[in-house]
Amino acid sequence: MRMHISLLAAFLAVAVPQVRAADILDELSLEDLTKTEITSVSRKSQSLANVPAAAFVISSDDIRRSGAQTLPDVLRMVPGIEVAQIDKGRYAVTARGFNGRFANKLQVLIDGRSIYLPTFSGVMWENDAIALEDIERIEVIRGPGAAIWGVNAVNGVINIISRHSRDQEGGLVKPTLGSLGTGRLYARYGSAIGDNSSWKLSVQGRHADASRQFVNGTDSNDNLNDGLADLRYDRTTGSGSELALWANANRSKLGDLILIVPAPTQPLTLLPFATMQKVSSQTVGGRYRWLSDNSIESSLQLSASKSIVEVEKYFREDRNTYDLDYQGRYTFAVHDLIWGLSHRTSLDDTAASSVVLSISPAAFAQRTTGVYFQDDWTLVPDKLQAGLGARWDNTNLGGHSLAPNATLMWTPTRVDTAWAKYARAPRMPSRAEQNVTVLSSLEPPTQTTPPVVIRAMQGSEPLKAETVDDYELGYRTQLASNFNVDLAAFRYRYRGRLSGQAGEQNYDLLPVYGVVIQNLTLCNCSSGWVTGAELSADWLVLPAWRLQLSYTWTRIRMDASANPFAEADGQDTEKGTPRHYGSLRSQWNISSGRQFDAWLRGSAGYDRADAPFPDLVHVPAYVTLDLRYARKLNKSLELAITGRNLIGPRRYEFVSDYIPSVPVEIRPSLLLSASWMF
Amino acid sequence: MPRARLKHLAKWLAALLLLALPGPACIGQVSTESQLKAAFLINFMKYMEWPARSANGTICLVGRDTLGASLAPYEGRQVAGHELHIRRITGPDQAAECQVLFIPDIEEARFQAVLRWVENRPVLTVSDAEAFTGYGGAIALVRVEGRLQFDVNVEALNSAGLRPNSQMMRLARQVTGASR
Repeated sequence: MRMHISLLAAFLAVAVPQVRAADILDELSLEDLTKTEITSVSRKSQSLANVPAAAFVISSDDIRRSGAQTLPDVLRMVPGIEVAQIDKGRYAVTARGFNGRFANKLQVLIDGRSIYLPTFSGVMWENDAIALEDIERIEVIRGPGAAIWGVNAVNGVINIISRHSRDQEGGLVKPTLGSLGTGRLYARYGSAIGDNSSWKLSVQGRHADASRQFVNGTDSNDNLNDGLADLRYDRTTGSGSELALWANANRSKLGDLILIVPAPTQPLTLLPFATMQKVSSQTVGGRYRWLSDNSIESSLQLSASKSIVEVEKYFREDRNTYDLDYQGRYTFAVHDLIWGLSHRTSLDDTAASSVVLSISPAAFAQRTTGVYFQDDWTLVPDKLQAGLGARWDNTNLGGHSLAPNATLMWTPTRVDTAWAKYARAPRMPSRAEQNVTVLSSLEPPTQTTPPVVIRAMQGSEPLKAETVDDYELGYRTQLASNFNVDLAAFRYRYRGRLSGQAGEQNYDLLPVYGVVIQNLTLCNCSSGWVTGAELSADWLVLPAWRLQLSYTWTRIRMDASANPFAEADGQDTEKGTPRHYGSLRSQWNISSGRQFDAWLRGSAGYDRADAPFPDLVHVPAYVTLDLRYARKLNKSLELAITGRNLIGPRRYEFVSDYIPSVPVEIRPSLLLSASWMF
Repeated sequence: MPRARLKHLAKWLAALLLLALPGPACIGQVSTESQLKAAFLINFMKYMEWPARSANGTICLVGRDTLGASLAPYEGRQVAGHELHIRRITGPDQAAECQVLFIPDIEEARFQAVLRWVENRPVLTVSDAEAFTGYGGAIALVRVEGRLQFDVNVEALNSAGLRPNSQMMRLARQVTGASR
């Protein structure tokens, strides 16, 4: 009985505070307000109240408090995003299924510029493109974003927005030293030039010793060295136009251990081969924003970059990329119009001519041009808004595509938002998918069949775009003034997804007697459904204590296929995504100078092909914990101690596909960092 | 025995719920930053002298909605003699009926365009971006050492035909465009 009363009291208390809080604020004078100390943990996620899509914002504060040292580790907090660490530098990151080392359905942009490697249409996360301290915020939109962001924004877009140099004045040095042989140094200096201009230069270096192989505990050769320099200049002119110029360079060296060398006496046993991967890139670019007399807001962005990717002995690629983007915006009556034009020319020159991997033609110039248009239309002020848009793209590797997008958003009250969305997005086949011939897997012999080596190669017909049709619903509400919930559910229909079909067999290609080479040509021959739901909840329990929950449920059902390879691939795909994925973060401001944060995160288990062999291995479920304690000693010095992966049994998070790297053990680690401002 | 333990557990859970459920902890505390920003907006309405035709009690929100939920409790109340309304607007035509126009920091790229919607009109423009007054906005809310302060651009107020009360000017952290 007593319990009932206390529960009742608790629920009553929930209903009251909104009004009460307002009363109290109302009585404060302007002078009182300027003296009120903000003790609460910041909550930026509210700023998505009127976005008709499954969206999540990571603030710079969230990044700092996460204790994460790399971008993919930061992304683990986002519902719908699945992150798996492959080794000390490599990560597999995707949204809503189909994860992989080169997960190819997620678009990642820094200030509007894609950081995809077009060769594999995936991101090489080991090559830091931006230091975490230089990020203003990260906006993650799950679901197709192709109507604005173009091809390959299939199941999500990650928009990284860098900090304005005006907000980075002065100096900052931030060394971090950790167990497992990790270290990181970030340094920055920036200053204003007169009233209207500012600049900043930041550098970052990162090192990590090699991990241990999960199977036998020996060195797995994945030692990482990574460096980055970033220069930015911003200028605001009197007439309100803005100019931003940037130049950055990065470079990374990361070892790898891949199962690829036949043992001398038993050619069907593969031995690990230690290789080194080197990636470097340099980019210069600029953006000009202006407002014309007829009130059209325009932004023009140009950039040029040069990159080299080299995997010792097997692969080298030199690439030059030129980007041009224009976006215009005009608002009148109840319409908010956005339109744009973009063009990318990417010239590559590759060298890969071993039996294992070859590319033909060796050099290619890929040109992609797109135009788009979007109208957000207020049907009933403050209540109902519709959005309609489409983008057309053309590339000389895959042809043209159309990506439409339609949304409806209903806001019955200030704190409730319901939305529905339909969108279609294409994913263009990558250069590798079109032009690479690779020995991709080995089927060991049985009593009745000889050993078979699978050779993936281009078919006689050129590949077309994969497409997804997306149907989505979402709802956001504020259950109390300090408790927000955001729900999204989706159903995707994939068509023309890339898979393979058996081609002819060769017997004489390998210098090993009795081994059959089975050619496998890629085809747009797989289709299926992906269904999922995502929840995020944000609860300010006390002004100084905030809890954030994110939970993701995903299910993939591929269509049955008469083609045995596509059928097997479909079955593997269904098992290759964790059904449940989630995290709970706690941010606590103990006092104005002390913070204590905890992050409990976990994933269900899933199965992946144990490359280069076709059989599946299980990646076990895990739950682990990160803790961080930070203390401000004075205005300019802060110390933090972070523990990552603190609980749970020893584990691996991913089994590499495509490139058969050995699985490594993810181990607990401790990090000490200092942050000194001057 | 298990029953007693269950009861014990239930008691603890109830106590925990009481402690943790959203609400009780907040009463009596001005806490979140957006609630504080909302209170600033309401106060600016009171501390300003408005030309009679412009005072209609409407606060307009542009772009990403960061304050709507915190302003909601004030809706329909009397503020400086007018019933308070909150509107989300997307274009210049809807800006005609605004008394206060709030643009969040996240929309910095659009400051210039949005300010033009209300140019030379008796509308008080406010943002929570420090750079706002530099763009020609009237008031910028700025976070300084754990408190919210505000900067005032007098030139912007003048061209809008608004007169701030002297007490408000005294409380401002920075006043720009005052040299006339």
